[in-house]
Amino acid sequence: MTRDRPSVLGRALRQTAILLAVALLPAIVSGALQLGWAAAEPLAPGEVRSATVHEWGEKVQWVDARPRDKFEAGHLPGALLLNEDEWTKLVPAFLDAWDPDRPVVVYCDGGSCEASHAVARRLREELKLGEIYVLKGGLAEWSEK
Amino acid sequence: MRFFLPLLLAGIASAQAQLSWDQPSQKFDRSPEDRAVEARYTFRNAGAQPVTIKSLRSSCGCTTARLEKKTYGPGEKGEVTLNFKFGDRKGLYRKTVTVNTDDKTAEPLVLNLIVDIHDPLTFAPALVWWRRGEAAAAKSVAVNAAPGERVAITGVSSNSPGFTARLLTAQAGQKYEVVVTPADTAAKGTAEIKVQTDFPADAPRAYTIHARVK
Repeated sequence: MTRDRPSVLGRALRQTAILLAVALLPAIVSGALQLGWAAAEPLAPGEVRSATVHEWGEKVQWVDARPRDKFEAGHLPGALLLNEDEWTKLVPAFLDAWDPDRPVVVYCDGGSCEASHAVARRLREELKLGEIYVLKGGLAEWSEK
Repeated sequence: MRFFLPLLLAGIASAQAQLSWDQPSQKFDRSPEDRAVEARYTFRNAGAQPVTIKSLRSSCGCTTARLEKKTYGPGEKGEVTLNFKFGDRKGLYRKTVTVNTDDKTAEPLVLNLIVDIHDPLTFAPALVWWRRGEAAAAKSVAVNAAPGERVAITGVSSNSPGFTARLLTAQAGQKYEVVVTPADTAAKGTAEIKVQTDFPADAPRAYTIHARVK
């Protein structure tokens, strides 16, 4: 009887470990998949993730596509105001500051960033500028990093 | 049955408490000078219960929605007014406003406002630029009127002595070329080239081509 005790204890521990593994497996798989999905969420054409922009560092030229009142209330350091409300008036100043060797990243508040995409489209199509990107998730996404 | 009948009737009454919209999707053609468009969306409470509009959510800060009051009794008519300030936008735009009511049986309704802001002239491209030290060769901008439309360019002028602009007419009223040349590219330079047209007759438009040495 005494000889059997360690083996009973060992079997109990093994079974507990197996049960725990079985119980945790779905949670681990689910978590991994969710993390994987978040990282692999597809970018719309012309979008760039904030992690990539962080890697680019200070060479980025920011363009704020929000209305003037929001820009004046606060914007990213060095950002230029350029929106469709005042496109004609704002484009000359943007072009004066534009550097063809720096990528331009357009941002808005967040969400679908319709305004950023519209500004980026006009920079690409009307002015034929290269290296124009839209910050995926806008300022909301950038602030979280 | 005695228990379920009132619930059933309540369910039917609730399902009937709904707003019926005349034209939830509207399209407008506008010219750039209009700067804004206002659209009215009329509705009627076609149900047997009062309906309260809890919120109007716009897809864009450029579009505002206005409502005279929030609650509408059975048979009562109302109106939501959308105002889209399109500023310097051109082309086709679709703006939406989502209407949420206290009618739990009804899905939120989406009002569509489609606006085509038509500009008959296109510039390809609207910017010509040179790198510093690059040969100061002329660069061209193609200016075309939309098919079937006639817009004559009456003149071009540069606001900087550092750049000259010349107009070439390929087909009067239809196809032009604006040729821009920098005096030199040794230093940074900037100019806006004014392109004057004869359209529309009552207030002819002027456009801008941008020129830069970077």
